[in-house]
Amino acid sequence: MPTLTIDGRQIDSPDGSTVIQAAETLGIFIPRYCYHPGLSIAGNCRICLIEVEKNPKLQIACNTPVADGMVVHTSSVKADEGRRAVLEFLLANHPLDCPVCDQSGECDLQNFYMNFGLYDPRFREQKIKKKKAVAVGPHVMLDQERCILCSRCVRFTDEISKTGEFGIFNRGDRAEVGLYPGQQLDNPYSGNVVDICPVGALTDRDFRFKARVWYLSSAPTVCNGCAQGCNVDVHYVLDRPHLNDGARILRVKPRYNADVNQWWMCDEGRYGFGWIDKGRLTKVRRQGAGATWEQAVAGITEELTKVGERDPERGTCLRLGVIASPQLTNEELFLIREIFQRALGARVTASVPMPAGNSDNFLIRADKNPNTHGAALIGLTDATAPDAAAIVAETLEGQLDALWVFGYDLTKLVADEDLQRLSRSLRLFVFSGTNDNPTAGCSHWALPTAAYLEKEGTFVNAHGRVQRIGRAFPPLSDSREDWRVLLEIAGRLNLGFAWRSPEEIFQALARSVTPFAGLTYERIGLHGASLMTDASVAEVAVT
Amino acid sequence: MNLTALEPQALEIIKRYDEPRAAMLPLLWLVQTNVGHIPSEAECWVGGLLGVALSHVREVVSFYSMFRTREAGRHELRVCTSLPCMLRGAGDVLAQIEERLHIRPRETTPDGELTLTEVECLCACEIAPAGQLDEQFVGPLDRATIDAIEGDAVAPYTGSARIDEAHPFVSTDGPVISTRFRNTGGTWWDAYIADGGYVAARKALSSMTSSQIVDEVSKANLRGLGGAGFPTGRKWSFIPKASLKPRYLVVNADEGEPGTFKDRYILERDPHALLEGMIIAAYAIGSHKAYVYIRGEYFRPAERFARAVAEAYERGWLGKNIQGRGFDLDVVIHRGAGAYICGEETALLTSIEGGKGFPKLKPPFPAISGLFQCPTIVNNVETLACVPFILREGADRFAALGTPKQGGTRLFSLCGRVNRPGLYEAPVGITLRELIDRHAQGVRRGHTLKAVIPGGISAKVLTAEEIDVAMDFDSLQAAGTMAGSGGVIVMDDSASMIEALQSAAKFFAHESCGQCSPCREGTGWIHRIMRRIARGEGRLHDLDDLLAIARAMEGKTICVFADAAAWPVQSYITKFRAEFEEHITTRRGAETTHVDEARACPP
Repeated sequence: MPTLTIDGRQIDSPDGSTVIQAAETLGIFIPRYCYHPGLSIAGNCRICLIEVEKNPKLQIACNTPVADGMVVHTSSVKADEGRRAVLEFLLANHPLDCPVCDQSGECDLQNFYMNFGLYDPRFREQKIKKKKAVAVGPHVMLDQERCILCSRCVRFTDEISKTGEFGIFNRGDRAEVGLYPGQQLDNPYSGNVVDICPVGALTDRDFRFKARVWYLSSAPTVCNGCAQGCNVDVHYVLDRPHLNDGARILRVKPRYNADVNQWWMCDEGRYGFGWIDKGRLTKVRRQGAGATWEQAVAGITEELTKVGERDPERGTCLRLGVIASPQLTNEELFLIREIFQRALGARVTASVPMPAGNSDNFLIRADKNPNTHGAALIGLTDATAPDAAAIVAETLEGQLDALWVFGYDLTKLVADEDLQRLSRSLRLFVFSGTNDNPTAGCSHWALPTAAYLEKEGTFVNAHGRVQRIGRAFPPLSDSREDWRVLLEIAGRLNLGFAWRSPEEIFQALARSVTPFAGLTYERIGLHGASLMTDASVAEVAVT
Repeated sequence: MNLTALEPQALEIIKRYDEPRAAMLPLLWLVQTNVGHIPSEAECWVGGLLGVALSHVREVVSFYSMFRTREAGRHELRVCTSLPCMLRGAGDVLAQIEERLHIRPRETTPDGELTLTEVECLCACEIAPAGQLDEQFVGPLDRATIDAIEGDAVAPYTGSARIDEAHPFVSTDGPVISTRFRNTGGTWWDAYIADGGYVAARKALSSMTSSQIVDEVSKANLRGLGGAGFPTGRKWSFIPKASLKPRYLVVNADEGEPGTFKDRYILERDPHALLEGMIIAAYAIGSHKAYVYIRGEYFRPAERFARAVAEAYERGWLGKNIQGRGFDLDVVIHRGAGAYICGEETALLTSIEGGKGFPKLKPPFPAISGLFQCPTIVNNVETLACVPFILREGADRFAALGTPKQGGTRLFSLCGRVNRPGLYEAPVGITLRELIDRHAQGVRRGHTLKAVIPGGISAKVLTAEEIDVAMDFDSLQAAGTMAGSGGVIVMDDSASMIEALQSAAKFFAHESCGQCSPCREGTGWIHRIMRRIARGEGRLHDLDDLLAIARAMEGKTICVFADAAAWPVQSYITKFRAEFEEHITTRRGAETTHVDEARACPP
């Protein structure tokens, strides 16, 4: 492994790595526009100029392989001057329309000018006119004047989405990025080009003009759009309701995770957050009328305590069915198992029918639930267990007296009249969920619960990776996290659970469900952890 | 338009290449030749045949200036306004043509007969001001030739051109390269053999090892005559011996450096000399496939070279088992389409591979990973044409013709304001003064020499006092300029350095590939400042700005194009600053246009 010196500090960097990578390992940031670790090297922007001793010319850090004994200066007078010159060239024809540019505040032309530029501009000629505000696809807006022709978007559509839409046409300073006339940028990953565009050339049509980026808060979480579990950051605003019609989430950005999604995410996940701020259940309802959480918990528990008791009228035991959801966290599914299946002997399932969605061999999974794998591990989708259809059928046949549905809309399984009949025949019919639907409307108790962004917890993705979802902001209005509701019920039922938080529930889960053994929130961290294999379980047991 | 009818030809073309995508330029040429332009459905057709996204087909179509996406006239007249032509009145000529045809550049006459195009250097500077009607060079353009063009192009076309071919001065007595240049119709098989042709190649194949050839070429001190002057033998030795990948010999016949026209004469008058040099080079580096990249505007040179290639195949000097020596070599002629940058060796490779002419990042270098990621040697036409002489007459004889570090002779292209523009073969140690005064017969009576660009437009300018310099690579480098392509552009005292620099700036802005930001933005920026100064709207600090921009461009890009664009700026302003300052302060540019300046020149 070659040893080189960067800014006076020595580092061993693997063969074949480049100076920009070695510097990054040392925490030395070398500015870049065209360089992107997820794309091939283009070497065209020239901003990453560095001085390499014994080399008369400045070199680009992105394409300079490390070599033993190499001495690199990233901010010598010569390197600084070179970088400043490059920046002045890049800004020569740039329109400098920052006040009306969405990128403003997260623009690397602005950032690098402040960090590496600060020259007195000399460009006094007419700037070249190119096309502005061209909607190149359903999600992306192109401004050719702002473009610095780094070719990241071209390389993305060539190398990652493999759809080849972008090209750079013409030559010299007439060069412009664009699509073939009549074509659209409508591949399933189109939004990523906005993320990788270092300037304001490609902006997000959905986010456009909604908020200045410096008003945004960010929280790390995991996309719940499918079983891939792409790591994302949610960008939201809580204190400026006028910006986005009161909606809190403004955009979702992929968060780097080498093992899950690298730098990318699909458009379905990126733009599929509307439900979190729209059409939510916000109040507890009893038979359609307003109620409080206290009334709900008390009322529901009262009925639940009768489960298993003999119904004096019918002479049979009162029986409960629970339709859980692979949208719930492991912690919640674990509580459901402990409370309903183990303590109350209910018929519990998390197998809910869902038509297989679109998929590919990159990030998009046909299973549109984020936690099918977790539900299976916890034992709620066993082949021996009933599925949602079976439970509904049993209810309609009068074999169940109480039913709790988590989020699922039963009209996907039965006709409206059947749902009405089912509602009338049940002693207890609870619906808890984030958004309103016909099932909520027919339930005896409709409980507003938190969306995944509003709670802590973990999901297990299709590849068996446990990932924390984090909590971006508190539950909307009166809604509560499912785990909190479940813990309250458990308390009322005197089940003796000592857990007070998702983390504590997870510890119990890790002790109880083998594949989770040894895992903790800390260990899962921001990038997740693989489930224990049999071998690693044994190892943990030893240590 | 029936593209399906072209399909058999297209499939034939694709077969010649090692990768389908490399057939991009020839297929686009196929379409343009048959359809007249490249319509959208043809881009789809080409993309479909080659498996290339439409956006990338369009990238290529829009990059090369000879490709057009819209219908044009039945004929195209390209008028060169680069520096060598400008110095001989191109501005005036273009104005006359515009006036007579009532069209501006990029327009077509109302009857749809003729499209007028203003182009950068056609490399026909010996007949400047030069033009090209379809495939034929015309020049010097004057009233009579414009009449003839009008007759040929605008009047109903009869098929027989009435334009007379010009006969500028061309060396014919060697000793190395020009010995067969008296054959204006080309030197063909029998004549070439009678003149000792293929003796060197036979010697190489029958009695020499690869390393013996490399040694011989090294001993001859043959340097790369495309412009960089790198020792040819050493370059060949860089091919990794152990590599199992195919190796390629690529011939750079993309002559484009303003002021240079030597390779065209080799291709047209002595194509077998190049071919023989190629066979020897390919044998030396172990290549079985050679690509010859001939610039798009060189129609006749390409035809003549193709004829030589066909002859060589017929006589068993190309193809399988050449002359029974067990050595195979195939030659593919690849045509450019109007992009100066493709003369840069790695841009040339990208262009063959079917892309825009973007220079490649180094490392890796072509000898390790070049064409199709395989070891590749790129040599200039003239360089390879010297090789048979070296093997036939001996390295010592070649070396003795030149200086201790550069052997042989060179074809010097002389143009601009000299009495006898033309192509002169001379030992590389000849002085610039001798070339101008003795060979090109000096500047016209009543005028004095002002400035000379010794090695193509990229070279730094020399003043009249600096011309006692030998023309070899090392002497010119020591003099602060470069031998480059051997294109000597001469300016007398009536030439304006402001107009000259504006013309050079126009060239570089037009030809920058646009890949690296300092070059893309810098060339355009310089051009805009120079245009403003020429218009009489200059400010004195513009000169310092120009120098600063040029300095900022230097040494920061993938290839040396940006440096080449910076050097004229630096040398013209530094050496002729008083003239620039005077022009700016007296604003005389407001009254004097380059047309007036050029008109003062003799025909």
